[in-house]
Amino acid sequence: MQNKNFIDFAITLLFKDKADYLFSFFIFSFIIFILSSVLFISDAIQFDISQSIKDQPDIVVENTRAGREFHMHEGFIYDISKIAGVSSVEGYAEGYYYFGQKRLWFHLVSDDTLKTNEMVVGQGVKVAMEEFYYKDKFNFLTEERIIVVDITKVAPKSTNIISNDVIYLHPQTLRRILGLEEGEYSKLYVFVPNKNEVGQIALKIVELYPSAKAISKEDTIAEYRHLFYYKGGLFLILYVVVMVSFLILLKNQISLVYGEKKKEIAILRSIGFCIKDIIALKCMQNLVVAISAYLLGIALAYVYVFCLNAPLLRNIFLGTNLSNTISFTPIVDFNVLFLIFIAGVIPFMAFVIIPAWKIAIGDISEAVK
Amino acid sequence: MKKIVIKNLNKIYNPNKANEFCALKNINLEIEDGEILILKGVSGSGKSTLLSLIGAISKPTNGDIVVNEHSIAKLPDIMSSAYRHKEIGFIFQAFNLLEGLSVTQNVIAPLSLTKMSEEEVREKVKKALLIANIEHKKDQKVAHLSGGEKQRCAIARAIVMEPNIILADEPTANLDKENSLLFIDILKTFKSLNKTVIIATHDILFDNLDFVDRYINIQDGAIV
Repeated sequence: MQNKNFIDFAITLLFKDKADYLFSFFIFSFIIFILSSVLFISDAIQFDISQSIKDQPDIVVENTRAGREFHMHEGFIYDISKIAGVSSVEGYAEGYYYFGQKRLWFHLVSDDTLKTNEMVVGQGVKVAMEEFYYKDKFNFLTEERIIVVDITKVAPKSTNIISNDVIYLHPQTLRRILGLEEGEYSKLYVFVPNKNEVGQIALKIVELYPSAKAISKEDTIAEYRHLFYYKGGLFLILYVVVMVSFLILLKNQISLVYGEKKKEIAILRSIGFCIKDIIALKCMQNLVVAISAYLLGIALAYVYVFCLNAPLLRNIFLGTNLSNTISFTPIVDFNVLFLIFIAGVIPFMAFVIIPAWKIAIGDISEAVK
Repeated sequence: MKKIVIKNLNKIYNPNKANEFCALKNINLEIEDGEILILKGVSGSGKSTLLSLIGAISKPTNGDIVVNEHSIAKLPDIMSSAYRHKEIGFIFQAFNLLEGLSVTQNVIAPLSLTKMSEEEVREKVKKALLIANIEHKKDQKVAHLSGGEKQRCAIARAIVMEPNIILADEPTANLDKENSLLFIDILKTFKSLNKTVIIATHDILFDNLDFVDRYINIQDGAIV
């Protein structure tokens, strides 16, 4: 452990070379900021989706015909409800409506608490509709007629992760828009009391109806996770590229700086600093830079993601054409922070300390002449 | 009492290579405690190499250097650094100060390796600055000092740890006559403080000084 006099002197030298250290500080802060933002967004989205999906049924069944989604009839409900372990099966009508003027798809979801002429829209839907002056009403164009529905409410921002592109309609209105008859369903919700049987029951449904897909809650969560892992992975590759570029830049700067610093290290060696002291001095100075840059990067990322809702990066992650005003739930995973520390601070320290060590072990007699 | 004993000392740069160069050849020398010794010789004669070996800045190819009855020729880094820190005060031709720091910050540098209290550090720095006659510039950045002032700052740094041995390599080469004479005055102070001082120089101002105990001529790496 170094004494106070040594620490004071290390700080004096740090301030002497503040321009050199500020360069590393700002670039390193920026890299940590980008990496932390990506990981914070990824974690927050995964958390929000897990929370949203938690209340969904254990298995969702969808049917296909000719490779396309196709509706199911009452017979599906009857057959699936007879599978041992299934407590109930509910038919559900939902689908997508193409908003041609904006070239967007809205997700139509039924809600029997609404009246037939009412609908609740997500934040993104609201913005898209308002662009074309649909402020209180919206005209759904079908093959046969125009269906006019009042916009009675906008879904709260806190539900944006799932409701941004959603329009909630009375089941009867929804069926008219999608052209579904009574007794026809686009999805079946299957409830299974014993969670250990979910996988087995999903297999039985597919055996019963080979054209159907039975998606368990775990599958849905895993699917979303994979999607965001994949997007996060892309950013991690970008991070590696940026980090490598930074280290190359740093190495060049260190080569320049250490050309000048060679004499300084030799002077310190001549007045009694041993190699260990030189390494300790450089470690101390660069740890101050690295840790403060790390903390600044993390703090900025926190503000950017959780206070400003990550403008720019948000749309890349959410991958929607609709404007999204999602609020990310502030989730800070300390494992992630530790990972950022390991992936950022350690290579940075190594790149800075190794040249200083190389100079310190060299012949100093020429440098001080 | 013998402070420094040098036995059969040789220093060869780049041994067994095409550019092999023998800087010192079979040097034998004994230096008394409190002695002021001047090494004379032309550039490249080996004076600076001898100083760097006595100061444990570099290691001899063979032979031995005994200081206070301890061999310092083959010490590991941590011990040779401790020896330099406690026993040696270096004064260089190029001053070798940390340019961005003030006079005081430069003088404090060797004390940063000690566990002295703030008060002790302040006292030591003040004493060194007074001996070197640079106290009036203590808060100035060394980059703004004249050559003579830089030299005095380097002297203050060299003596702040109160070492027993002071090594000066061409200390007046970058100074005008007035500042060179000031340096010679400071040497008298070292004598009064009973420091062992070894100066490598070819400056004629150092010729025939009454307080100098011995002059040694070095030529082509050997004492003549």
